[in-house]
Amino acid sequence: MLMFILRRILQTIPVIIGVTFVVFFIMQLVPGDPAVLLAGEGASKETIEAIREQLGLNQPLYIQYFEYLTNVFKGDLGVSLKNSQPVLNEILVRLPITIELAFFSIIITIVLGMAAGIISAVKPYSLTDVSVMLVALLGISLPSFWFGLMLMYFFSVKLQILPVAGWDSLLHVILPAITLGAGGAAIVARMTRSSMLEVIRQDYIRTARAKGLRERIIIYKHALRNALIPVITVVGLQFGALLGGTVLVESIFAINGLGRMIVDAIRMRDLPMVQGGVLFASLIFVVVNLFVDVFYRFFNKRIELN
Amino acid sequence: MKERNKPILEVKGLKTLFTTKRGVSKAVDGIDFTLHKGETLGIVGESGCGKSMTSLSILRLIPSPPGKIAGGSVYFKGKDLVTMSEDEMRKIRGNEISMIFQEPMTSLNPVIPVGEQIAEALRLHQKMGKKAAWDKSVEMLKLVGIPSPEKRAKQEPFQLSGGMRQRVMIAMALACTPEILIADEPTTALDVTIQAQILELIKDLQTKIGMGVIMITHDLGVVAETCDKVAVMYAGNIVEHASTEQIFADPKHPYTQGLLNSLPKIHEDQDELITIDGSVPSPYNMPAGCRFASRCPYAEDICATHQPDLISHSEDVKVRCWKYTDKWTGKRDKEGVV
Amino acid sequence: MDTTAEKNIILQVDRLKQYFPVKKDSIFKPKAYVKAVDDISFELFEGETLSIVGESGCGKSTTGRAILRLDEPTDGKVLYMGKDILTLNKKDMRKLRGDLQVIFQDPFASLNPRQTVKQILNEAMAIQNVVEKSKRKERMLELLGYVGLPPEALERYPHEFSGGQRQRIGIARALAVNPKLIICDEAVSALDVSIQAQILNLLKKLQKQFKLTFLFISHDLSVVRHISDRVMVMYLGKVVEIAEKKEMFDSPLHPYTKALLSSIPVPDPTLKRDRVILKGDVPSPIDPPGGCRFHTRCPFAAEKCKQEEPPLRELVNNHFVSCHLAETLPV
Repeated sequence: MLMFILRRILQTIPVIIGVTFVVFFIMQLVPGDPAVLLAGEGASKETIEAIREQLGLNQPLYIQYFEYLTNVFKGDLGVSLKNSQPVLNEILVRLPITIELAFFSIIITIVLGMAAGIISAVKPYSLTDVSVMLVALLGISLPSFWFGLMLMYFFSVKLQILPVAGWDSLLHVILPAITLGAGGAAIVARMTRSSMLEVIRQDYIRTARAKGLRERIIIYKHALRNALIPVITVVGLQFGALLGGTVLVESIFAINGLGRMIVDAIRMRDLPMVQGGVLFASLIFVVVNLFVDVFYRFFNKRIELN
Repeated sequence: MKERNKPILEVKGLKTLFTTKRGVSKAVDGIDFTLHKGETLGIVGESGCGKSMTSLSILRLIPSPPGKIAGGSVYFKGKDLVTMSEDEMRKIRGNEISMIFQEPMTSLNPVIPVGEQIAEALRLHQKMGKKAAWDKSVEMLKLVGIPSPEKRAKQEPFQLSGGMRQRVMIAMALACTPEILIADEPTTALDVTIQAQILELIKDLQTKIGMGVIMITHDLGVVAETCDKVAVMYAGNIVEHASTEQIFADPKHPYTQGLLNSLPKIHEDQDELITIDGSVPSPYNMPAGCRFASRCPYAEDICATHQPDLISHSEDVKVRCWKYTDKWTGKRDKEGVV
Repeated sequence: MDTTAEKNIILQVDRLKQYFPVKKDSIFKPKAYVKAVDDISFELFEGETLSIVGESGCGKSTTGRAILRLDEPTDGKVLYMGKDILTLNKKDMRKLRGDLQVIFQDPFASLNPRQTVKQILNEAMAIQNVVEKSKRKERMLELLGYVGLPPEALERYPHEFSGGQRQRIGIARALAVNPKLIICDEAVSALDVSIQAQILNLLKKLQKQFKLTFLFISHDLSVVRHISDRVMVMYLGKVVEIAEKKEMFDSPLHPYTKALLSSIPVPDPTLKRDRVILKGDVPSPIDPPGGCRFHTRCPFAAEKCKQEEPPLRELVNNHFVSCHLAETLPV
């Protein structure tokens, strides 16, 4: 197991380098010369050339990339073109907010999703099952910008029990986290249900019944652990979708997180900021995937053998 | 000696139906048998004859829906399992009546250590503490011949071979010293040298514990080597019931005869095997008469129209066939058709 | 049975090896292989049935697949009528597949569920181009007749048939191309005994009718006893014994064969036998025991058995065994 975790961590290194590579070269494809942009309208050819020299933009691309890479590993992500502050500082301020949002959203995805899935699977095709799955279908179908606005309208404007926007207290987390987590919860619910129904048909569940165990123990001890194996993978994938969703949700609820930062930076053509933001978002994704893999392995030791 | 005691299990007119889109299938259609302490009953038949459904019906483990016990009773120590509450039934499963299944590969929970899978039955039924139950499960693993049981108990099923998994299943089934063990094709998925080990083990433990065994199998060799008496099933019915010696020496029902004839013999050479022509009728559309009539070399008019009862032919033999009644004319025999 | 000397060899397997690489769990460990078939040689005579028996993992099915090049063997030769099959190019191999046919255990899995029996048979004939288009229908009806299926079967799909009937379709498809050698890989193992008897009778009848050679792979010794002329026993990728059927069943020489034969449950309650029950499980083929591979479970194993691999040698006329102690063991 330890060997596996170690190997899995080593495997992320080429992935991270690959990410920097993609991030760097995509930025090269963006039209417009940063030196021209930086020099401002009507700058002389010499000034532009000087800026280019200063930023190393006249070097061959691979040298530029190499420099960028060494800087990244040194923790230097460049300075914002907008306010000349180091990009890293800005990210470190924004990142915890997004992580907090993502954390509560994924909790909602997991808890709500699995609970709904189990409730459905215990009595398949019953009224409860059908209603839960109908709600889940709605959850998948509703676009989050609309769903978020509806929540905001109902709970903040009409009932006035939750704050409209911003990021000050735990109360502020509730609506954005529900908006962000709902779609995932619906997918996890459907996955949990079908996985549970599959597992309940297995021979070892019959063995557990033949042992005289109570239905509750059969469901929670014998069935759930096996049913969760495919669900974990889905949760991992949902986390990726969730990161993408922060961009929207942070904009709707006016939260100063990483997603909104990237959107603003794109609007301002602040390339180093976009680069840094995307790099960090990718890093989070890689780390989460690492956890999912280790978790998966823990739950399903059989794959060690195959 | 067997007749003197009261049986520990008495199945009377047990009926199990399956309702699907294609109609109602009579998987088990009114069967009767008894089992005594220390005795081994074989239930033998080909796929789809209802032998596995019979065993699952006894413990009320048939998947429902679509399955349902539609009638009859199963008396265990005087109480009817069919009408018992689910709570009472649970106290019997795995405690007084245990079951082992055909597929040792899939019958154990893949993510729970095998020792825990045995121990949970002990904690449940014997009200043992955690430590005591674990120690007892290690002891059970040792009893069924698993080397280094302390280490194995902590392992998960995928770390064990097929033969060892079936030993674990047996250890689990016998942990609470049941009075009846139902073994549903316990060796079918195993290699022949491992099969020999497992059959030997079951026999051995049976004498130690003194339990009754119901051996469900399609293999007449297994029946001959392990059973005291045999019920032959065909299309949801018992067609013949007799002692093992009797059934192999002098099978009465034409189906039993056909089954024995179609076996390739290990100790003699034959040019051609004797076969049973045709195939089993669909469970959704059973004929009105004897279910074997369309394949039977002796069939007469009455066989096609009226189903025979399971009648006592002699003291030890019951057979479901018109041939052994006074309704039988013996026309085809005389005409030399057979 | 004639003495083997007069018979033509149709297939000769020479030092066949089939190793499958195992996924490594550490980059520091050397590459491991499952030695599924490890250096075996035998020959098959025209018109006979040679059975390969053994327990799961002994390499019997792998041998069949290697001969057909369904998996490319690691090493060795497979001479069919003197020509090495393993060196043939794709085109020549395809031509040869008309001569070599196979019948699998699960007829349902090996028949295309979307094709009618007619399409299945037609396709087999078209690939080998054995029958003119105009005569194919006639030939199909003839084939159905051989395997005991009614002419109406042509227009039906595999799922409309029972297990035994599907196996008959599989046999008809194999026969469609006029094969000389048919490999039956557990061909009757999935069938109920009464149906199994029908298929065994059919195979025997067809063998006589078309002078077929069978390589019959099975784990069921009673079936093998019924159908074979000669029997070959395998254990952990090695041949442990080859003999004529009667010889093998009446006087087996290898301790493994003896244990195997005595393990079969016999449908005769009056027969009380001295049973040899082997201890333990078959070792892993990834790292098989050195010396004789059976020594870990052999009740007679001596020091020599742990050190030296026994060669396959002819002990009695046409009776080969690979055991150091074969002469000295109790009968």
